[in-house]
Amino acid sequence: MKRLLPAVLVLTALLAGACGMGGAESIVDKDAIVIGVRSDLPSVGVRKSNGTFEGFDVDVARYIAQKLGKDYTFVPVLASDREKVLLNGKADLVLATYTISQDRKAKVLFAGPYHISYQDILVRPDEPSIRNVRDLKGRKICQVKGSNATQRVLEERKVAAEVVPVDDYAACLTALKDRRLDAITTNDVILAGLAVEDGSGLRLVNAQFNEQRTGVGMHKGDVAGCEAVNRAITTMYQDGTASKLLHKWFGKAGLNLSTIAVPQFEGCS
Amino acid sequence: MTIVQARPPGQVGPAGPGAPARRSVPGRIRVISGITVASLALLFAALAAGSLSARDGLTVIGRDAGPQVVATAGLYLGLSDMDAQVADALLMGKEYAPQRQAAIAQYERRRSEANQALLKAFELSGDNPAERQTVQSVLDGLGRYERLAGQALLLDAQAGHAAGPPPQKVVEVYRQATDLMRLVLLPQAYNLTLESGTIVRSTYDEKSVMVPIVRFAVIVAGLLALGCLIWLQVFLARRFRRVFGPALLAATVVTVVALLAGVNVLGRDLRELRTAKADGFDSVLTLARARAISNSLHGDQSRFLLDKGRADTYEHTFLDKSQSVIYLEAGNLDTYQAKVAQGAKNFLGLLGTELGGSDGERALEAYTRFQDADAKLRALAASGQASQAVSARLGTVRESFDAYDQALLKLAEQHEAVFRRATDAGESALDNLWRLLPFAIGGLGLLVIAGVWPRLKEYR
Repeated sequence: MKRLLPAVLVLTALLAGACGMGGAESIVDKDAIVIGVRSDLPSVGVRKSNGTFEGFDVDVARYIAQKLGKDYTFVPVLASDREKVLLNGKADLVLATYTISQDRKAKVLFAGPYHISYQDILVRPDEPSIRNVRDLKGRKICQVKGSNATQRVLEERKVAAEVVPVDDYAACLTALKDRRLDAITTNDVILAGLAVEDGSGLRLVNAQFNEQRTGVGMHKGDVAGCEAVNRAITTMYQDGTASKLLHKWFGKAGLNLSTIAVPQFEGCS
Repeated sequence: MTIVQARPPGQVGPAGPGAPARRSVPGRIRVISGITVASLALLFAALAAGSLSARDGLTVIGRDAGPQVVATAGLYLGLSDMDAQVADALLMGKEYAPQRQAAIAQYERRRSEANQALLKAFELSGDNPAERQTVQSVLDGLGRYERLAGQALLLDAQAGHAAGPPPQKVVEVYRQATDLMRLVLLPQAYNLTLESGTIVRSTYDEKSVMVPIVRFAVIVAGLLALGCLIWLQVFLARRFRRVFGPALLAATVVTVVALLAGVNVLGRDLRELRTAKADGFDSVLTLARARAISNSLHGDQSRFLLDKGRADTYEHTFLDKSQSVIYLEAGNLDTYQAKVAQGAKNFLGLLGTELGGSDGERALEAYTRFQDADAKLRALAASGQASQAVSARLGTVRESFDAYDQALLKLAEQHEAVFRRATDAGESALDNLWRLLPFAIGGLGLLVIAGVWPRLKEYR
């Protein structure tokens, strides 16, 4: 009879183990995680010539991984890859100017946001007449493949700007300086990064007309992981790291950092 | 049953095999009794562990996190409405002097409510350092906010402008105030509410694994104890030629009752925990979030009228927040409001799964009326009729918003009632079990002694 007790305990342990294994593995249970970051956006996420990554998103990714106590590696992702690398399991987290939207939430889970940014406008230093989105009426702006920034000007704000399609932001920058364009409009951190890299004094208008929530893309269903990431982000804002990183990467570009917005979380379920 | 070795203890057998058997009888009675008592102890230990675990779950969900959601949601609403009242007061100008006074009085009331909610949230945050720091940070920020809001109201009173946007210097001070409120304080209050959801989810996940395991252990330990009791009785019956030992029979019955009661109560608690979370808490949390976001988009209407420089930003946040409450695909506010007016069905967003039933339909109707009133407000503002727009904001828009908010509140109260009922039912089932357990333990001890002791005495 006494032999029954260990048997019961073993059975109990087996049962507990079986219950714990339901569903895909949470990042909380992993020792090492893979994080997708942009490789093409200066100051946000960019791959240097020696193969390492740097930028605001990269620093935030490092901070989160360290708070979770995980080893981490980076993989480069472009705008069009972000969903794919999560769905095919190539990355556990994606921090790549990934804006939270209801459509995207149908396929991936978002922790955060870790940063509130705005759509803004970048102009040449000698351009005084563009002060907000309405001043873009009849002016030339660039449309980068895969970005919905111009659509937000034309459709949402109903401002009839003239759209010039280009391949990437580098082409936008060249066109702006050659006066083939009047302004570039997109996420303010991307603009700040372009301005810093360019270094010729391009001016951020600080029109801040569309709020954008940049979140951490995760596998759908990893609620425990998402909550852990949110707690790491809360700490990042409480211990002053967020403010430090924003000033480090975007302070010089003229981004308005007078109020550091605390992100309001999307919720993990 | 063939009782081969049955021999009354008094009658000593001739010799040989009888003698060692007779010597071992009291020893074996002691061993079997010992095992029986141990297995009974195991049963009650498992019952105690199971009910402690279930009670812990009910306490966390029902007494800590549930009230924390209500307190922090109250904090958010109080703060958000403070900022909305300031915006309203700044819009009214000298034409609406009595209403302006009323708005300032409402601002003061909201401030006091927010302070109370902050104290409550601090008290409920227990020893969670991140939550405490958040409450502290909101408290600090609130002081700065009040200073800026007071400054804006004073400048506005001195300006004595007509209804509509106040002078630029007022707008600039108000911008600092509202940025602090919307970008720093409100998100922190909102995240506190969400954190309660995190605590409930992890507690529930843990309990929904733990309690069934313990319940299974109770069944195993109970069957083991019953087996031992029967074994003891069969042994005594064989040795002492007594078919029934009334004390041990009674002990068996008590064990069966304790086992059934324990399994039943744990099963019940598991169901009540599930109900409290899935039908109560989850909806309470979602509706609290929806009310918070709705209140904030209602404030964005006043800010849209107040600050021309940022009107586009506030119109965008209004659309963005509307879509997070009830999502209908739309590239701009006009399209969204047209789709709402057509009647929203099968939508995503926070309220996507919350608006079933007739009360849900009423909430959706109220939301539709609110969006309609908003469309009219924006049409007035676009055509330059600032004073009429302000009057719409203070009239139809506010009334339709209040109706919508009340409809959400009513839904939330229904879920809160479910939540409280389930928590109370789970706790009272546990209370009953705990009241019975000491008697069962004491009674079983006495019964086992009463059943075994006379037999042992026969050997003295």
